[in-house]
Amino acid sequence: MRAPQTQSGVGSAVRALIGFALLVAAHFGIRPLFGSRVMVDFLVIAALFAAVRMRPGLAALLGFALGLSADALAPGSFGAATLALTVISFAASWLKAVFFANHIALTGLFIFLGKWCFDAIYVLLGGGVRGVDLVVQLLLWTPLAAALTAVVAVLLLTIFRPLYRSQAA
Amino acid sequence: MARSVRGGSRLDSGLLIACVVLSVLALVIKGDVRDRVSATLRTTVLAPLVALESRSAAIRATVTSRQDVLNTRGELAVRALSVQAVMDENTALRRLVGLGARLRDGFVVAELLPTRGTNDDFTIALNVGTGVGVAPYSAVVSADGLVGMVRTVDANTSYAITWASPEFAVSAMSVDESAFGIVKPHLGTGADRWLLELRGVPFRAKVDSGTLIVSAGLGATYPRGIPIGTVLSELTTPEKWARTYLLRPAVLPKALGPVIVLLPPRSARGVNGVWTTVTSADSAAKGVATAGDSLARSAALDELAARRAALDSTGADSLARDTTVLRRPVTRADSVRADSIRRARAAAADTGRPRPTGPPPAAAPRVGPPPPGDER
Repeated sequence: MRAPQTQSGVGSAVRALIGFALLVAAHFGIRPLFGSRVMVDFLVIAALFAAVRMRPGLAALLGFALGLSADALAPGSFGAATLALTVISFAASWLKAVFFANHIALTGLFIFLGKWCFDAIYVLLGGGVRGVDLVVQLLLWTPLAAALTAVVAVLLLTIFRPLYRSQAA
Repeated sequence: MARSVRGGSRLDSGLLIACVVLSVLALVIKGDVRDRVSATLRTTVLAPLVALESRSAAIRATVTSRQDVLNTRGELAVRALSVQAVMDENTALRRLVGLGARLRDGFVVAELLPTRGTNDDFTIALNVGTGVGVAPYSAVVSADGLVGMVRTVDANTSYAITWASPEFAVSAMSVDESAFGIVKPHLGTGADRWLLELRGVPFRAKVDSGTLIVSAGLGATYPRGIPIGTVLSELTTPEKWARTYLLRPAVLPKALGPVIVLLPPRSARGVNGVWTTVTSADSAAKGVATAGDSLARSAALDELAARRAALDSTGADSLARDTTVLRRPVTRADSVRADSIRRARAAAADTGRPRPTGPPPAAAPRVGPPPPGDER
């Protein structure tokens, strides 16, 4: 009786891994194609989608790795993305029972808040934006980017459901 | 079970703390260390992602540059149009300079002044006047040919009518001097209004399409040899004794730029060799008169042959008949009377006087250029 469950768990893990790899590749392969100020953050989606399948500690470790890869390509704010993704990944894993109840709208809200928190931590720790620009960034551009990221996440979750469906569901 | 959960929570907390500490450490480390760490990551584990990002950035740059190329191409096309206009203007100025070099002296170069709402398409204002010697009736020319004639002159400006003006007229001839006439504007409608007519050409003078028509030099305004236009076709008119030809003007109104005003002394000296090389007016007139005489003579000889045939049939003295016919070429054969022999002998005895040849002047067709008084 345990063998089918094990195979199912392995298959789910493989699909999750493929989905995670595609999102990371999209972050570095698709995102640079668009030069807009409001852009989709595929790394946040990948981190949040993966975090809900893991324990909080592993999710924090995954967020740390993803943040470090993002910071390596933006040395000016080295460490900010690492800390932000670590925190939101841990929080997402810890709150997965609340938010990932296989509900599309809640998932979109979850992604929206996660992206907003990530940007807030990143902008505040990065130190590149101050004063009025900081307010505009946090109250205008960050919510727009978070909304766009949430929409894309919901679409991905709808279209590629086998890849991004949570194990609890 | 509870111990396991507590252990897992401790592990999670430991990992979180470790990650946070490392992240804060990454935030506060010095720049060179940070750069070395990020460079190491970029060149090792992140190398494929960096390559992917570079390729995507290159694709975006290509798309963006493609748009820039299209924009640049459009700007270049617009600039090319203006360059073409400048080149055309340079060409016109070069031709004008060449015309000035051929004229050498006795002229002034004039710029066209902008029209001041006179709504007159046939008058041009020039920026030269009596101060530089311009006088009324001075010919206005360009490198292409005749433009018009100065009508009124002020101290620094002058006004000239162009060839399109209803008041314009110039004595003209074909460049081979085979046909003479008067050129006036073609008073048609639409685009035909901007054509010319060569009127009063003798009926026997047939001019082919494409023949260049130049000023004949009859009159004091336009010197001989200035191109006026080229023959397009013959017009049908009620006048059966003369031909009228439609001309395409040598100077087009749209291409009118700086012009040259020929001062009266220069017009008097002539411009032969500047645009075209034509013989003098006297020799041309002689040629035309000679051609007319030969035609009249030929007609008289034909008539003579007919009369001889008629007289032979009457059986009269052939010598007397021939002599009579030579003296009276217009006499009809049936009017020969019996005393003709006596009159013929009396005339033959009068050999000291010169004998006229050819038909009487009244019988000859009108040849040669039109009278000078017809030119304005």
